Amino acid sequence: MTTKTTTTWLIAPAVAALDVGCGSSALPPPNDQWAAAEADVGRAQASGAPAVPDAMLHLQLAQEDLQKARPFIGKDDTRANTLTTLARAEAQLAFSLAKQAAAQDQARTAQGDLRDSAAK
Amino acid sequence: MHWNRTATVALPLVICGVMACAEPQIPPKSLVDAREEFVRAKDGLAGQLDPTDVHEADLALQRAEAAWQHSPDDPSTGDLVLIADRKALLAESQAAAMKAEQDAQAARGQADAARVAQLQSAKGQLNQTQQALGVTQLQLQDQQNASAVQQQKLQGLEEKLKDARDTIAKIASVKDDERGMVITLQGEVLFKTAKWDLKPGAMAKLDQIAEALQGKERPIVVYGYTDNVGTRDNNMDLSQKRADSVRSYLVSKGIPQDLVTSQGKGPDAPLAENTSVEGRAQNRRVEIVVQPKR
Repeated sequence: MTTKTTTTWLIAPAVAALDVGCGSSALPPPNDQWAAAEADVGRAQASGAPAVPDAMLHLQLAQEDLQKARPFIGKDDTRANTLTTLARAEAQLAFSLAKQAAAQDQARTAQGDLRDSAAK
Repeated sequence: MHWNRTATVALPLVICGVMACAEPQIPPKSLVDAREEFVRAKDGLAGQLDPTDVHEADLALQRAEAAWQHSPDDPSTGDLVLIADRKALLAESQAAAMKAEQDAQAARGQADAARVAQLQSAKGQLNQTQQALGVTQLQLQDQQNASAVQQQKLQGLEEKLKDARDTIAKIASVKDDERGMVITLQGEVLFKTAKWDLKPGAMAKLDQIAEALQGKERPIVVYGYTDNVGTRDNNMDLSQKRADSVRSYLVSKGIPQDLVTSQGKGPDAPLAENTSVEGRAQNRRVEIVVQPKR
């Protein structure tokens, strides 16, 4: 019984991957994913991504991916899903790049302060 | 024969088909990039600091590889490859942010420690300064106390001198000039004519003067004067001997020897004309000058 269950778990992702490859509409419309992607885009914008060139690029790509996904909803939900997932990945990367830039700025400031205090 | 012709035509096609299927597919550049990005993340900072996101990137890459194996031309395959690439980049970015936060925290910690050390050093210096200030204040207080004591002593001396002056004024003429307090004793009171031995009555007066000048710690000069009768040399000699007699007596009565000097002035500095008896009597005199304190 345990062996059978394990086998089922191993096969399921493979079948899902085949479905993606075949371009069928096996997946449901990406309503939740869409909402999550929009939230990720909003979070990236709020984190200062528009002021960081790399982050801004990926933020724009996320928004473009969402626009690309829209026509596929209800017609090719699998494609819509992958595009929405890609939009989320782009938005999360934009957020992370903005956070990275801010952290590196703070590190430079702290190290500058340290040098200044050592020079006194 | 027909079979042979068919076989002749079909066999190369089948072989070519098999060869085409067996030939390994060349992965697109985007997939190659995604693989490289994943390796960079796994082997780099992300592998150490952010294994969870590296695992996510691994799963995404596996999905992209599977999709490419089964449906290389499907548009979704390209999307999955991009997702894998972005997941690897995300892991690297997250790790870089973590590293920067760690660096900032370490620098702040070191800066805080340096500030604490500076503060402690400043406190130490402040303590030293406060201690030095305390010592200086004590010294100042001692000086002020000493100054007050000195002032009291001086005031006491001034009062004693005033008392002495009042006492002396009863037996001799007392006045002040640029030399100090001048006590004048007439020659007839002190000496017989042309002599320098003190008369008994003179000793009684000098006793009172000596007693009054005791402990005053002022320099004293005894001047002897004569009138102009006789030779100048004789008068100079007589006036010196009379001044010496008075000096010796005062010393014998307790005035410190090193404080008292004597000087004969002869007929110089007369108080009156020597043309009359009264004038000459006024000029024959001894002056005891109590000088201001040196």
